Amino acid sequence: MIESILLVDDEDLFHLVFEDACSLLEISLSLQSVNSSDEAAKMFKKWYETSSKEKPECVFVDLNIIGSSFDGIELIRKINFEYGNHVIIGIISSSNEPEEQAKAIKAGAQFWIIKSDDIEPRLEEFRKDYEGYKNRTAPFKIYK
Amino acid sequence: MITFNKQSKQQLINLCKTRNICLEGNIIRVINYSGDTEFEEYGKTCLEKDREMRKKRLEITKQIQFKNSELEKLNQENQRILEELTESLKSVEESKIQYEVQNRELILWKEESEKISLELQQEMLKSEQARVDAENAKNTAENDLDVLQKRTQTQLIERIVKVSLGVILAVGFITTIMYGIALFMEKDTQIIGSTWANMFGILLTNAFSIIGTIMGVKYASKET
Repeated sequence: MIESILLVDDEDLFHLVFEDACSLLEISLSLQSVNSSDEAAKMFKKWYETSSKEKPECVFVDLNIIGSSFDGIELIRKINFEYGNHVIIGIISSSNEPEEQAKAIKAGAQFWIIKSDDIEPRLEEFRKDYEGYKNRTAPFKIYK
Repeated sequence: MITFNKQSKQQLINLCKTRNICLEGNIIRVINYSGDTEFEEYGKTCLEKDREMRKKRLEITKQIQFKNSELEKLNQENQRILEELTESLKSVEESKIQYEVQNRELILWKEESEKISLELQQEMLKSEQARVDAENAKNTAENDLDVLQKRTQTQLIERIVKVSLGVILAVGFITTIMYGIALFMEKDTQIIGSTWANMFGILLTNAFSIIGTIMGVKYASKET
């Protein structure tokens, strides 16, 4: 089970879906959701500066976060290269653009989960691969 | 893991049994249920109820999400139709303005055309009047010329007639005098007599011929 998860997505309804799916699949008991990449960046900056242990173990970031000053890929880049690494981070988006996926890999994303009505099987598959991400042995994977 | 004492466990179990109020959420997963069979059962019941509730909520949330996306699509479609309508309306407005301008131009053009037409009619009337005047003038001139020609002809004829008659009379007179002198002087008149008669006959014939010719010419000129 993942210790704690942070979801960054502008869609509030998806927060509920993700929370229920994670609980039902017993992926994680601790889940925090924010709907802006700016807010997430601030949180990571604070955790980085205070060396806080509140930092989540895994982060799911939406690609296009409406109302934010930068997109999900830029947030991943910031978390990986500005606020220290040591989090498992990836994209959760309805987009399946290879160009964006290439950018995400460059920014340090470890996975790409494609959002759909049936998200549970993908999260189940992700849970199985999670140890590999934790050990940094699993390659970048797209969950379709 | 959270561990409850026996009293708290019993209170939680009773609350679930009597009022159907159970623990829910992820807290169920961090409670220590071991060592108490009844509390373990309670934990299972809470977990089961929580799962059921989450499944229902997940289903409803997905339906709302689906409806939201449908509504979003419809909204986008409506927006697109609205934009098209606005564009069409704008285009119609522009066309209307253009038609109005063209209409105004056409009315002006029509007025100008009517004015020109009126002027043309007036000019045509003037022209017609001028033509009639010219025609009249021409007729007058022709008449005058005709009259003049006729007068000239008449004068010429009169002169010819006079000269001819004069010549005839003079020849006749001279021949007659000569014939009279010959008779008076008792000269041989055989030659002059026949000559006179002959001459007189010729002159008379010629005189009639001249008169006939003149009359013919006069008649012919009158016909044309």
